[in-house]
Amino acid sequence: MYGWIWRHLPGNAWVRALISLVLVLAIVYALFQYVFPWAEPLLPFNDVTVDNGMAVSR
Amino acid sequence: MARNDGDEPHRPAPARGRLAATVGVIGELLITAGVLMALFVVYSLWWTNVLADREAKRQSGTVRENWAKKGPGALDTKDGIGFLHVPSMRNGEVLVKSGTGGDVLNEGVAGFYRSPVKAAMPWDKSGNFTLAAHRDGHGAKFHNIDKIKTGDAVVFETRDVWYVYKVYAELKETSKYNVDVIDPVPKESGKTRPGRYLTLTTCTPVYTSDYRYIVWAELERTEKVDSERTKPKELR
Repeated sequence: MYGWIWRHLPGNAWVRALISLVLVLAIVYALFQYVFPWAEPLLPFNDVTVDNGMAVSR
Repeated sequence: MARNDGDEPHRPAPARGRLAATVGVIGELLITAGVLMALFVVYSLWWTNVLADREAKRQSGTVRENWAKKGPGALDTKDGIGFLHVPSMRNGEVLVKSGTGGDVLNEGVAGFYRSPVKAAMPWDKSGNFTLAAHRDGHGAKFHNIDKIKTGDAVVFETRDVWYVYKVYAELKETSKYNVDVIDPVPKESGKTRPGRYLTLTTCTPVYTSDYRYIVWAELERTEKVDSERTKPKELR
């Protein structure tokens, strides 16, 4: 998978390394900015209130 | 992994090579999943704190500014009703706002309950001022709740009054459905008569949400805020 991506990037090893780095940073940015904020409320790690289980207290 | 250098793709891959390639891809996917989870931990425990602390600081500044202008009229509660100081948590002041939904608490503040049991305000004659905040991530304002011991002071600061509470009971683990703990008279804390109580709730154990940690305090005295906003002796 990663080998396939690496082989399909243009340029020599240095250019490829640079492009890879940019890609990785872009993915991390997308994760922190969009994916994780979306996923977090769906995961049961961060509920702090007591409630009667009917609805999230708002 | 069976890797040819791109120029000779037409050589038929031996069966073992194909198997090795498949295993290789699965391995890469597993590593990717691991990295993703690690990144999520970094996000939860670090990045959300950065964002929430920044937001809380900004909002606290707004509230303090509004207080300084000190126009006549009722207390403005839209931006927050005041600040919670718990010396034994050693985390400075926590802005308190209305509501305990994620949208509020994720701003790095504590929220007072509006449901399932509506919180009483500190200035009410009797009732329970019930608060919730994050244990981890999003400012983690109640992270050190387990450091609070019976007898410790909890001070709530409004524009005009310091409300000094004294902790009298802790409940280290209870069900998340135990809404009785935020009753106006929290019987589980041993109280049977109406009074001016304060309840802190957050999740426990740390990094999970399986149970709730409860701390109860009772109003000891109030102090008028003077022109220098001199802190009560508990905070000095």
